[in-house]
Amino acid sequence: METIIEIQDLEKVYQNGAIEVAALRGVNLNIHKGEFVAIMGASGSGKSTFMNILGCLDRPTRGLYCLEGLDINDYNDNELSFIRNQKVGFVFQSFNLIPRTSALKNVELPMVYGKVPASKRRKRAHELLEKVGLGERYNHMPNELSGGQKQRVAIARALTNQPPIILADEPTGNLDSRSSLEIMEIFSELNRDGNTVIIVTHEPDIAEWTHRVITFRDGLVIDDRLNQPNTTSE
Amino acid sequence: MLFFENVKLALVAIKSNKMRSFLTMLGIIIGVSSVIAITTIGNGANSVVSKEFDAFGKNNANIYPNSSEEDTSGVPSQFTLSDINALKERFGDELRYVALYMNGSSEIKIGRMTGQFNISGIADNYMRITGVDLLYGREFTTNDVENRRDYIMIPESAAKKFFGRDDVTGQALSININNKLREMTVIGVYRPRESIFSRLTSNTSYTVYVPYTLWEDRPASVLDIYINEGYDVQKVLDKIKSYLALIHKLAPGYYVSNSVESQQATMSQILGILSASIGAIAAISLLVGGIGIMNIMLVSVTERTREIGIRKSLGAKTGDILVQFLIEAMLVSALGGFLGAALGIGAASVGLSMAKVKVSIDPTVVLLAVGFSALVGMFFGLYPARKAAKLDPIEALRYE
Ligand SMILES: Nc1ncnc2c1ncn2[C@@H]1O[C@H](COP(=O)(O)OP(=O)(O)O)[C@@H](O)[C@H]1O
Ligand SMILES: [Mg+2]
Repeated sequence: METIIEIQDLEKVYQNGAIEVAALRGVNLNIHKGEFVAIMGASGSGKSTFMNILGCLDRPTRGLYCLEGLDINDYNDNELSFIRNQKVGFVFQSFNLIPRTSALKNVELPMVYGKVPASKRRKRAHELLEKVGLGERYNHMPNELSGGQKQRVAIARALTNQPPIILADEPTGNLDSRSSLEIMEIFSELNRDGNTVIIVTHEPDIAEWTHRVITFRDGLVIDDRLNQPNTTSE
Repeated sequence: MLFFENVKLALVAIKSNKMRSFLTMLGIIIGVSSVIAITTIGNGANSVVSKEFDAFGKNNANIYPNSSEEDTSGVPSQFTLSDINALKERFGDELRYVALYMNGSSEIKIGRMTGQFNISGIADNYMRITGVDLLYGREFTTNDVENRRDYIMIPESAAKKFFGRDDVTGQALSININNKLREMTVIGVYRPRESIFSRLTSNTSYTVYVPYTLWEDRPASVLDIYINEGYDVQKVLDKIKSYLALIHKLAPGYYVSNSVESQQATMSQILGILSASIGAIAAISLLVGGIGIMNIMLVSVTERTREIGIRKSLGAKTGDILVQFLIEAMLVSALGGFLGAALGIGAASVGLSMAKVKVSIDPTVVLLAVGFSALVGMFFGLYPARKAAKLDPIEALRYE
């Protein structure tokens, strides 16, 4: 299988004044195209730090990160913006929709920065909202949507430029169990369609949906095992 | 990112914070509106004043004794008919018109109608030179003036009032000139020029013209002069003044002159100073307005830190964020400039129409106000926009 993410000796040190915090202390792993991965671990174990680096939102202090063969150390900030725009679909725990901006406009946004013409943008955004089951609510503002609906808009937004990787940092962390289920169904479906999906979670129930569970502790990978997903929804 | 998208974004941002946006614009609004109001009123006043000047003619001038110099010699400094004759002889080519400046007023009563005549003494050709419309009859000839004919020209309003019709040439009326009751014959009816001053005079007093020689031997302290086209007004006046001083045996600087030309120059100098000081006020208020915009944009950037983080996480480049906030700052101040222009023009229109002066609105002024305000917004928006653009995506996303 084709390797899409290649990580070697990845380290991240946060410098808070005189205090240094080593959030990642030498992570090695590869992720292949089409994998559905859960990243687990206790709070503070470095999961978000790792995801932010995968999403090109942050840079490693040391080590190698190649995304689709591109060493992200070779790129400047504006080039990383372009990589985020084209290659990463990021879903956050707190949804991160732009306030006072309709669901449709939120979904269009990555295409705006990707310089997609307006008519094409609108069409694609409508399609994606349809796909996540919000076809009729395209005109709603974020504050008029429930948590589950917001997260579905965020997923639609992450898909707009057809990125090779979809990253979700505790996407169900702010949702009730029913909405969590709906969201996980969408992720599974995306994976079945061939997308590479990486999800951070600390809930074993959520990890059960995936094919591979990687566990972090104190900035290191302590466990990496394959999983037989339980696709029947309770 | 596309310009149009950014304008829409900025409009959303402005609309979602209407009160704050308005308060932000206030500095610009006040600055621009006061400048536009004052310049519009100034232009209106200027055009009115220069029209008044034009009514006299640019080559009109008065000569009179310098009041600060004492008449020590006992030689009369005032002007008489012999001065007129001497000037005509010596400056025949340069002088288009010269007369003793004579004025008076007289009660007038014809039948049951009463009124007041403000009497102006003039020489021949006065109406033609000043371009006054003669409706009926003729104006004075050289002969009429020299022979002190009891002729009078009255305005059509007086003709209507005292005789009930327009053409009253040949009619007789008696007025008091230089304490002498004279039986006058109307030889001309004229239509007065429209002027702001004509509105100020009461409708029972009329300006009438008689030959200046009717004041007989009374001397005048002022000479009314028109210089022919093609001569340097000031040079000719200087020659006339020294000649007059010579024949009156007075010091060369004894007589002074006041030409319409020099008055106009003084006027435009005053207007120039005025517009320069208005410019300074404008600059200060726009500076204050610009600082206000910078302040609010800084607040806005802080408030929207998270939004900036989201945008960056979705692929916004530094330049995209910079342009977004710059356009927002420019739009706020351009909008302020537009509102200010509208307010200023409104205020000026009210002011000018109360003074019954025609309001002329220069669309380039509005464009200039909007454009300049946008520039102010750009200048003062640059720092906040750069601050926004340089935010680190992770830190921005983590901002609470
Ligand atoms: N911006 C930061 N500055 C300093 N320390 C940080 C920062 N972000 C995270 N950390 C620290 O790095 C470690 C890993 O954090 P994080 O990746 O958020 O863990 P997780 O997502 O697994 O809870 C923690 O000890 C946390 O306190
Ligand atoms: Mg975390």
